[in-house]
Amino acid sequence: MDRNQITKWLKSPAKMAHKYSLHAVYFCTGCGIIEIPPVITTRWDAERFGVLPVATPRQGNLFMITGYVSLKTLKAIIRTYEQMPDPKYTVGFGSCPINGGMYWDSYNTIKHLDRYIPVDGWIAGCMPRPEAVFVGVTHLWTLIDKGKADGYLRYKRYYAAYRRNQEMLFGELQWPPLYPTEAEAEEARP
Amino acid sequence: MVTRIIQLLLSPLIALAVGVLFLGLSRKIIARIHRRYGPPLYQPVIDVIRMMSQRSISHGSLFELGVVLALAGSLVTVLFIPLGGTVICRQNPLAHGVLCPLSSSGGLLVVMYLMLFGPLGLALGAGDSANPNASIGVSRKLLLALAYEVPFLLVILAVMSHYRTISITEIVARQQESGWGVLSVPLSAVAAFLILPAMLGIRPFDLVSAPQEIASGPLAEYGGSYLALLAVQKGVHLFVVIALYVDLFLGGGVNLATFLVKMLVVFVAAEMIAAVLPRIRIESAVRFCWKWPTALALLQMAITVLSKSV
Amino acid sequence: MIASLRTGLEATFKGVEVTDREDGMMFVLAPGESIPAVLRYLREHGLDHLALVSCVDWIEEGELEVVYLLTCYMRNNTDYGPEQRRHVLLRTKLPRESAELDSVIGIFENAEPHEREIHELYGVHFEGHPRLIPLFLERGYEIPPFRKDFDTRQYVEKTFGAIPPVED
Repeated sequence: MDRNQITKWLKSPAKMAHKYSLHAVYFCTGCGIIEIPPVITTRWDAERFGVLPVATPRQGNLFMITGYVSLKTLKAIIRTYEQMPDPKYTVGFGSCPINGGMYWDSYNTIKHLDRYIPVDGWIAGCMPRPEAVFVGVTHLWTLIDKGKADGYLRYKRYYAAYRRNQEMLFGELQWPPLYPTEAEAEEARP
Repeated sequence: MVTRIIQLLLSPLIALAVGVLFLGLSRKIIARIHRRYGPPLYQPVIDVIRMMSQRSISHGSLFELGVVLALAGSLVTVLFIPLGGTVICRQNPLAHGVLCPLSSSGGLLVVMYLMLFGPLGLALGAGDSANPNASIGVSRKLLLALAYEVPFLLVILAVMSHYRTISITEIVARQQESGWGVLSVPLSAVAAFLILPAMLGIRPFDLVSAPQEIASGPLAEYGGSYLALLAVQKGVHLFVVIALYVDLFLGGGVNLATFLVKMLVVFVAAEMIAAVLPRIRIESAVRFCWKWPTALALLQMAITVLSKSV
Repeated sequence: MIASLRTGLEATFKGVEVTDREDGMMFVLAPGESIPAVLRYLREHGLDHLALVSCVDWIEEGELEVVYLLTCYMRNNTDYGPEQRRHVLLRTKLPRESAELDSVIGIFENAEPHEREIHELYGVHFEGHPRLIPLFLERGYEIPPFRKDFDTRQYVEKTFGAIPPVED
């Protein structure tokens, strides 16, 4: 830790702690999860960056979606994302969450993940190598430093739009809204 | 009086600092054994700050009180355990620099009871979250406590009947005069070392909070600052168990520094065994705890009682 | 054994075509209504494992072809001979417009998810199936998506193209 970092730590300990303690919820969709075991084990050792897999969404703050997202999976992804405590960062891994990838004309695979939940960063490739994960993590550090990794804030601000997009796919959703919708907010206002 | 107040404040702080450092050390040791570089030693501190600054989701008042109960139980236990120092005057050990604020009362019996607070608090809190994984974890945790309590009580009974006292300060003083407990009650020391991983909740007995099978068990619904407090509690519990082992079998410490060095040796030995072993199932854990450590502890009990009654 | 199975099949059932192959495969083409009976016959004659139920859409002929792949379990390690390496492909052709079959869950219990899958992806109705609800799909589709006349590109444009980006 150099001197530059110590002043940063004193100025905003929460932000720095979020940077160096990214506990990841790996959502094992598709083929991307194959790249994750080498990342977290001996060969590439993500733990030296503070990246550690956790078992439940309550404990994590980094959400990695590794591979194509089918409709059924998207439901689980939305629920997992809403269960994570703020602040949380989402990273789409591989080309399928970005624009569908090789599933661009599939009847059951969503094409753009960022239309349903907010995404802070992408790691492109099919498949990205483990080094790309670390490049992605360092980019995420820069984003957190500049305050640009604000997906959880955007989700709150544009929740009505996100919810509308989710309902366009699934019809009526089986869980209540995470944030009050505009009509409810109007009612609650005195 | 002033010494006592300073000690009351100091020993939990030492337990917090050393416990959290030990958590970081365990991650580093395991990483090095896996030929990884590993996280920095202060990584648990970063994690705790991160969890503290995250939004905490509660599931009810018992959910919160369970965490507080577990942490408070562990911190109070520290006050009853001498953390190094030489006893010069038996009548008033406090005046002579034994770092143990509540040495005059309770002793081993109180420590035995207070050490159950951690599992109980966690069981209460996790039960309130109504998560099935948490329920499985809690049942495993209480079953594991049942498994290691049997040899643990036998070990403590053997030590108490060998030294004819329940005061830990007294036991430490007797060891510093006439040789360590590991020489005078060797089988008990071995039995206690065998159940040490079960009491610490590390491999091969980490089946309580197994992330791969039951989604970290009782911690499944904990997040944010609750999880931070539970991480701290884990560190303090680690400190309590190892400090008790050092006090009972390795002659305590002449001062705090030697005490901590002895704790480090015990901890690294336990952690190196843990790093190369796989996780075992709960029934194997119970079978193991009730077989070898219990047999050794019973044997030592018999030897102690027979040699004392002659 | 294989030869006797062939003659037995042709003698017992009407309208069954049997093609025998060198590699131990036997193709059996049977009309739709006799499928449960043929399956029961094959099961009684040693082919006791339903490995797979599949479907092919022959759009030019206007037919859906449902395929049952049957093999037999190895009883022990010693009897792994050509007898045990038998495979039987039982095929049946159905009209695309009114694709209906009797469910074979009573004969092979593991056919249940296969039939559900074929029902939702090809639109074949299985009479007597206890719960023909979707297995994989979340949305309703007008044409079952594995049929050849299902235009995936148009469907994707209509469904996923209609969802606007959440503009910041």
